[in-house]
Order: sequence, then structure tokens, then C-alpha cells
Amino acid sequence: MVADTVARPAARRGRATADGGALHVERRRLYLPLLLPALIAYLLFFVVPSIFGVVLSFAEWSGLGTEFSWVGVANYAELLSSRMFLSSFLNTVLLTLVVGVALFLIAVAAMVALRTARAGAFIRSAVFLPFMISPIAVGLAVSFLFNPKGMVNTVLGLAGLDALRQPWLGPELIFRVIMAGVVWSAAGFYVVLVMSAVDGIPPSLYEVARIEGAGLIQQFRYVTLPLTRDMIATAAALWAIAGIKTFEIVIAFVGTAGTPPPEARTLAVEQYLRVTGGRIGGMAQLGQAAAIGVVMTAITVVLIVLSRRIQRRDRLEWS
Amino acid sequence: MTGSARHRPAEVFGASLIVLIRAGLWLWVLFNLAMVLWVMLNSVKTSRSIFANPVGLPDTWMWENFATAWSTSGLGAATLNSVILVTVSVALIMGLSVPAAYAVARLGGRSSGPVATFFAVGMSIPFQAFAVPMVLISVGLSRFMIDWITGAWDPRVTVALFYVVLSLPFSVFVLIGYFRSLPGELEEAAALDGATPFRTFWQIMAPLARPGITTVAVLNVLTLWNETVIVLMLVPNQRMQTLNVALLNFYSNMQYTSNWGGLFAGVVIVVLPMIVIYLWFGRRIVNGMTQGIGK
Repeated sequence: MVADTVARPAARRGRATADGGALHVERRRLYLPLLLPALIAYLLFFVVPSIFGVVLSFAEWSGLGTEFSWVGVANYAELLSSRMFLSSFLNTVLLTLVVGVALFLIAVAAMVALRTARAGAFIRSAVFLPFMISPIAVGLAVSFLFNPKGMVNTVLGLAGLDALRQPWLGPELIFRVIMAGVVWSAAGFYVVLVMSAVDGIPPSLYEVARIEGAGLIQQFRYVTLPLTRDMIATAAALWAIAGIKTFEIVIAFVGTAGTPPPEARTLAVEQYLRVTGGRIGGMAQLGQAAAIGVVMTAITVVLIVLSRRIQRRDRLEWS
Repeated sequence: MTGSARHRPAEVFGASLIVLIRAGLWLWVLFNLAMVLWVMLNSVKTSRSIFANPVGLPDTWMWENFATAWSTSGLGAATLNSVILVTVSVALIMGLSVPAAYAVARLGGRSSGPVATFFAVGMSIPFQAFAVPMVLISVGLSRFMIDWITGAWDPRVTVALFYVVLSLPFSVFVLIGYFRSLPGELEEAAALDGATPFRTFWQIMAPLARPGITTVAVLNVLTLWNETVIVLMLVPNQRMQTLNVALLNFYSNMQYTSNWGGLFAGVVIVVLPMIVIYLWFGRRIVNGMTQGIGK
């Protein structure tokens, strides 16, 4: 049988290392039946469509039964001349960078102070909580806090700080409020993520540092930071993947009735409006929407590659 | 504490900085708990008292907010949609990913590394790269089924299909890690006792991996329960939409209904099940999300 011929090298290897070669062949036979259903579903409905998305970005097509025509880079050119696209692009980059920096600072602060804090486990669970909650619910609650008659303005008024009362959801401030909401909902995850790397550091290293007279900040500088660099790189990559996609919280701020104001649009929102044609009954622009998807993938890849550079070359070995 | 006799300015600065950070962390904790409490209280207030009395206890406890949200605003039907969609999808995800992960981790030989990477790549592709093809497949699929096969089609089935395939990369990848961490001696012992490879998988290794399998299932429940954009894109019919989308619609009608208490009741309906799951599985969810990914 063909399968046997193919499997022979592996079978020979198996015989050399362990005992039963026959058993090994039998186990190899189980490999494909267990793997294929998932692999085929993944390939057919995820990988192939994703590649097809790239193809679509060079075409104009509205689905089966409509005319398919190649348009080259016209979709990209149109995006570049679209003010909506450019502002949503800048917003997305701004959000990913600003929130990214905020998350990094919060994670560093936590690494400095949380390791030795009392009730550290409780603090971690409580700050993680918003990450578990639907971003729609987070967006609704946060936007309600900031609405003109909402809690924030009420409290500012009660505190006699009327000067600070703002139309928080107006075009000038709404995106900053959204970014604050993103920080609130995501920060706990990154704190717990980096702390799980801190937990892996042998306590003896901190002991030595302490005996040498290092304070908590120096312990962070000379023990924690060098030994958690890989995790910080991973966290940065994860944030890049997540931040670029920011969608729900923006939609929750503005609802589905109106289209989100340009000041608050991210690339994902802009793409959604082009896929559905928006609520104002516009035409779907699938080619351009696909091009936005390609652009977002490109940014994600660039950010992942950049975050890899934080990573250390040599693998860490404890002991 | 540090045992050093001299207090250099840097140390004093460091110590006060740490006190400051800890105070900040506690404030953050308090804020989170206060937010949960605030949303819950708002859900049983009248819309007027939500604005007039933003921090206090409700004047009258408006439990009927939940009733109006549930029936009048259609959150009840949406909850049912969400529950069924999440249950069916997660069952399918696990049915596909557990055997596949076992195969890759334990049976794959030389090809297992590349296959694992192939699945992992899917985790870093943004959903938006997939969105347009997804919409086209959805339209094509429903037209094909209506014209040729069943004569009718429910877009929720398409949503379940995409929920499953989009969750496969993460699920398979994390489960591969769990299966790799199990001791191989047990498989050999089972084989010596005459168990077939499939029985070894089904009756020995899968039960051993149960903590990992449960964690991945719970994480998928969380993700899919909170999912919004796929339903927004694929399901135009409001009666078929899920809880998050129904909540958005509710919010969009707020300028006509002004039923803010009902809106907060809706938020509680969305949020409470996840908080219960979090309290129940707590550490496991946190570890699954962070350690599974960190590796």
C-alpha cells in the first residue's frame, strides 16, 4: 500500500528508538483519521477563504451571480484617496500605539510592585475581570459613564470642578475616551500575562539580589526585566493582533443606528461599514473592504515582526 | 526591609514609588468592583433615578426592568440564540480539535511540527482578512442550499460554521501543548495491555487531558458568548441575532424608548453568566488564557 511505503521511514525510526514497530505503524494509521476533519475544515473554510480575500482585494465582485472583474490595485488606490480610510487608518495606528504604551507601563508597574504585594492573587483576579466581559457591555457602560448627563460629569459637578466637565462623547474627545475604555478592559490580561512569567523566576535570584542590597526597583531592573523579556515580546505581539482589530467597543459607543463619527472609526469599523454598506443604505464595497483586510494583516505582520526583535536570541534555561 | 543601613535617596524614592503603585492597583481593583456593582444597581433602577441618583441605592427596586428587557426588547429570544449557538459550536470545536491535537502531539512524527505551526498561523491572522470571503461564502451557501438542497436556510448555521473554524487554530494549538505534556509511558503501558491506539486515545489520554480540554472549552464559551461582528455581518434578521447584537439594537432604540434601566438589565444578562463562569473556573481561565498562549 502507498501509505505503508510513505510511512516506512518513520516506522524504521520508531523501531530504532522504541520497541514495537508494528504498533508504531498502527498508531501512524490513526494519525490522519483524527487529524483530517479539523485540518480540512480549517483549510477549506479558513485558510482558502483568507487567501481568496487577498485575491478579492484586486478585484471588483459582489458575490455569486455578479460580474467578477480584475481591477488591479484600484481598490488600494481608492482607499488611499479616501479620507475616511486614512483617518480610520491613523486612528487604528494611534490606538494600537497609545494603548500599547499604556498597557506596557501598567504591566511594568505591576511587575515592580505586585510580586511581593499582599493579596496579590486577589488583585490579579479583580483586574483581570473586565477582560472577561463582552466588549459591547464594556463599551455601553463606559460610554454611559461619560455621557453628558453621566456619572463623570455629575461627580465633577458635585466636586465643584465644573470647569472640567466636558462633552466627553463629542467628536474631539470620543476617541480618547474609547482608548481609555480599551485600556481598562485589556490591562488586566497583560498584567496577569507578564506576572505569570515573573512567577517562573526562581525566588533564589531575588534573594541574592536582596543580599547584594538591591531594592525592589533594582530587583526589577536586574532580575525581573531581563528574565521576562520573552514574555513582554509575546505580550506585545498579542496586543498588536488584538489592538488592530478594535471594533466592538467603538460600535458600543455609537450604537448601530447611526454610522460612527469619522473621529471614532477604526479600520475594523470602516471595513464593517463597507461590507454591510452601512446603515444609510449605501452599496457594499467588497473589493475595498477586502483591501482593508489585507492592509490590517500587513500591519499585524509588521508589528509581530517588530515585537520579535524584543525577544532574546538564546533560550532561557533555569538551573 | 531591605536590611541596608543607609537610606540613600534612590531607595526612599523606590519605596515610595512602590507604595504609590500598590495604592494604584488597589484603586483599580475597587473601580472594577464598583463598576460591577454600579451596573447591577442601575439594572434595578428607574430610568429617571439612574440620572438623578447615579451612585445611591434605587428608590424603588425595578425588577420589572428584567421582564421588559427579556420579553419586550427581545433579549429573551436573543439569549436563547446565544445559548444554542455557543453550545453547538463549542461541542463541534471540541469534537474536531481534541482528536486533531492528540494526533499532532502524539502520532504525527516528523510532520507534527509543521502542522502545529500551520494551525498557529491562524491565530495571528486578523478576522478582517477573512470577513469579505466569509460574507460571500455565507451568501453563496444559503443560496445554494435554498435552490438545490433544503429549500430553506438559517443563517445561524453559517454563523456556527464560522465560529467553529475560527476557533480551531487556538483550540488545536493549546490542546497540542496539553497532550505533549502528558507522560508517554501510559500510552506504552496501554499498548502492552492490548489496547488499540484509538482506545488508548479515547479511554486513557483524553480523560487525562480533561483539565486542559475543560479549560479550552470554557475559553471558547467566553469568546463566542462575547462575539458580535460575525452575527452583525451575517444575520440581518433581528429575531435570529445573539445577545450582544440584541443589546446593541436595544441601545440604538434608546432615543425612542429611553428605557435605561432596561438597557442595564440587558447588560447584566450579558455579563452575569460570564462572571459566574469566572468565579467558578477562575484560576483555570486565567492560566489557560495566559500560559497556553505564553508558550
